[in-house]
Amino acid sequence: MRYAILLMGAPYSDQASHSALRFAHALVARGHCLEAVFFYHDGVHNAARLAAPPQDEPHLVDAWAGLANEHRVALQVCIAAALRRGLLDEREAARHGKDGVSVQAPFELTGLGQLVDLGMRCDRLVTFGP
Amino acid sequence: MQDHHHYDSDLLVILRHGPHGSSWLKEGLDAALVAAAFGRRVSLLFMGEGVTALMPCQKKGPLGQKGTAETLEMLEMYDIDSLLVEEQGLSCLGLSSDDLMLEVTSLSPPALARVFAEHRLVLTF
Amino acid sequence: MLLHVVNRSPATSRVYQQALSGMSPDDRLLLIEDGVQGALPQLVRYYAGLEGRLFALKEDLESRGLLGHCDASVQVVDVDGFVDLTEEAERTVSWY
Repeated sequence: MRYAILLMGAPYSDQASHSALRFAHALVARGHCLEAVFFYHDGVHNAARLAAPPQDEPHLVDAWAGLANEHRVALQVCIAAALRRGLLDEREAARHGKDGVSVQAPFELTGLGQLVDLGMRCDRLVTFGP
Repeated sequence: MQDHHHYDSDLLVILRHGPHGSSWLKEGLDAALVAAAFGRRVSLLFMGEGVTALMPCQKKGPLGQKGTAETLEMLEMYDIDSLLVEEQGLSCLGLSSDDLMLEVTSLSPPALARVFAEHRLVLTF
Repeated sequence: MLLHVVNRSPATSRVYQQALSGMSPDDRLLLIEDGVQGALPQLVRYYAGLEGRLFALKEDLESRGLLGHCDASVQVVDVDGFVDLTEEAERTVSWY
């Protein structure tokens, strides 16, 4: 089946991102197609390029990137939610005159339309919230 | 393995938070509006504290933020005319649907559960 | 048939009530994260009426030291079982 995940919790602060990642791995291990993870509300913090958790703790940002690269999962971050929270890629940083980039590939800033599209297109959409 | 049921509507957006206290209400509304703009049939369900999103005479937020009242008043323009409210959410606050700024359909538990089945996609905010 | 997912304890959050009011007679409920506390015999009464339709996530029970303490009426499933539940239901609705 084709799945999508909607994630609305920030890494570390609550369990949503951990649960979502664990579920994502189980999905691909079972042979399902995880088309995309859509990050909205505080979930956009999962794209924070500069996150530096201690070595003995999970690195959620890297873990999502690893999932994306290994299993071709799109990582779509709601641009409006991201900008408000200081999560900007190179293009947006330039556009807003910011000296620094906080989001990079494979995370992609995109519109809410993508979430709706995913929800309609995929067989299943599972939400993880704070 | 798509299910081929006939759905009354495409998207049910559940709004469970009131205005100003958090970003949930606005973020949920934004998703609903985008879906409607893309031609989807959208229903809004105000549950629990979410019913207060429909209180009339709302004002700006603590730092002068616009809030969501204006957007809600324009819902018809966005082709969102299915406004559902959890009856329990109203009664808990001592409110009735007459107190609200828009015409709504008030739902009690059995009807509420049916609404979930009638939509292809349900997003909780 | 829908799957509802609740991630908070019924002792600390009323979100479980919202989930219950949205459930049809054949819908299922899965408790995850802090929600697995609802599987304890003392709290499972909040979910009365869900016989055979109440599930709890094993990994979250385990990490909280609650694995042996579930009420008998709760079906413990691991994350693969979670995947199964989402496959079997037409749609999954999360309450948090």
